[in-house]
Amino acid sequence: MLAYGFGQRALVGGLLIAATCSVLSFFIIVRRLAFAGMGISHAAFGGVGIGIALGLNPIATAAVFCVGVAGGIGWFSRKGRLHEDAVIGILFSASMALGVVLIAAAHAYNQDLLSYLFGSILAMNWMDVVILAVLTALGLAFLIFFFKDLLFFSFDEETAKASGVPVRFVYYGLLITMALIIVVSIKLVGIILVSALIVIPGATGLQVFSNYRGVLVVSTVAGLASIVIGLYLSFQFDVASGAMIVLILFAFFLLAVTLSPRRSYMQKLLKPASSPSREED
Amino acid sequence: MTHACKVAEFFDGTGGPRTLIQLDNVWVSLGGKTVLEDITLNLQEKRFVGVIGPNGAGKTTLLRLILGILKPERGGVCVMGMSPTELKHELHHIGYVPQNVLFDPLFPVTVFDVVMMGRICCIGPLRFARKKDKEAVHESIEIVGLQGLEKRLIGELSGGQQKRAFLARALCRETHILLLDEPTSGLDVPVQNQFMELLTRLKEELGLSVIFVSHDVNVLARYADEVICINRTMQMQGKPEEVLGSDRLKDVYRCEFDFLVGAGGDD
Repeated sequence: MLAYGFGQRALVGGLLIAATCSVLSFFIIVRRLAFAGMGISHAAFGGVGIGIALGLNPIATAAVFCVGVAGGIGWFSRKGRLHEDAVIGILFSASMALGVVLIAAAHAYNQDLLSYLFGSILAMNWMDVVILAVLTALGLAFLIFFFKDLLFFSFDEETAKASGVPVRFVYYGLLITMALIIVVSIKLVGIILVSALIVIPGATGLQVFSNYRGVLVVSTVAGLASIVIGLYLSFQFDVASGAMIVLILFAFFLLAVTLSPRRSYMQKLLKPASSPSREED
Repeated sequence: MTHACKVAEFFDGTGGPRTLIQLDNVWVSLGGKTVLEDITLNLQEKRFVGVIGPNGAGKTTLLRLILGILKPERGGVCVMGMSPTELKHELHHIGYVPQNVLFDPLFPVTVFDVVMMGRICCIGPLRFARKKDKEAVHESIEIVGLQGLEKRLIGELSGGQQKRAFLARALCRETHILLLDEPTSGLDVPVQNQFMELLTRLKEELGLSVIFVSHDVNVLARYADEVICINRTMQMQGKPEEVLGSDRLKDVYRCEFDFLVGAGGDD
């Protein structure tokens, strides 16, 4: 696979995305933003529709659109009288509908559209990789620089605010980072499956460790390994790389749930069958 | 109304009792509704001040005003001689224990991590904890009696232990003022008493000024040096026996109170 340029670009791009998504995923899980992630990723379809209809780069318009949707989710949730999930439900479906209408109006229902829906990492060029590297570096820099603030804010927002944490900045920063990382990940797995990248790694880590340091390590290892194994298998068996990466991530999650020392399933399974005891009488 | 806070007088004063908190004709509105109305209040430092009032009286709003989270619509606020704008840069002098921290019991942070959050004001670039930050965390954990539990998940602790952990987080800075919002709610009576005894000891040993909101007149009677009663407006301020024994308190709450002033205070 690495003998080919497209394979090298896919691997480099995938690893960059996985590294950022793994850290982001931790906050998405503990801050319960999984539905927001799904909403923003599906809203990207509206952004792609705008790009196609106006003849602009669909990923660029999706980035601007998703940042707007993320800001809208944040603003309506905090200022409006609607719960976050209701706001997401409204913006998500309205954006999808906008995408459908614009793409239909532009008569653009073709094969390219499928690459936005299900990813086309093997079609990335080096310029795509450079853009991806810049955006993931910015996202990762935000997550690392404000890690302690984000942790405090996610745990206890009121006291974080009283302690001088810039809660509004870190909340919108997290949403915007999520939007940008989702958009750059569309090339990898597509709009439909991108939420897996920002949810499953963190959820996997939480099955194994109870401390955030361990969770982050497992999340990152699972994310990076899923890219390497998923790309390798998709190349070997000539199947869609994005879907294979998501399936590998899901397999890691199932393994973590089954084998986790935090859960009792495995302990019960491995426990030797005890002879009938007097307690049972 | 303009209001001049005199920070220099607070920090470079002559050593006599200093005014810790000064509110002058303060009005606060939330969502178009007036929550605090024309509040004037002077609190001296190193006192144990209880705040009482019925639900919706504005007690938590008062704490949030002191913390600088809320800005007054009208009137002046001075905390340690600082205006709310100046206070933003001096928040490490204030420790806050909120009423109920609604967190996921599986949230992956240990007691040590939670107490370290209190250092966020003081730690350096990238928020990397230095040796002195870790020492401050261990010291705070020891002060509240949670040593040995540093590595336990916060969600695994009992309600009383969690309150102690949040108290340690509030102490783990350069704390002059400790603000507590119903610190004993949800705790059984022996644990309530242990917590309040701990607060009393800390106030004496660390020279803290403590302001706590409570609905429990017995707790206020037993531990407070001074009690404030608010019900959107300032109702009363004085010694516990004066405020809690007053007919006006019954009017504010529209019910009778039975409490024992000073009961057990000399234990």
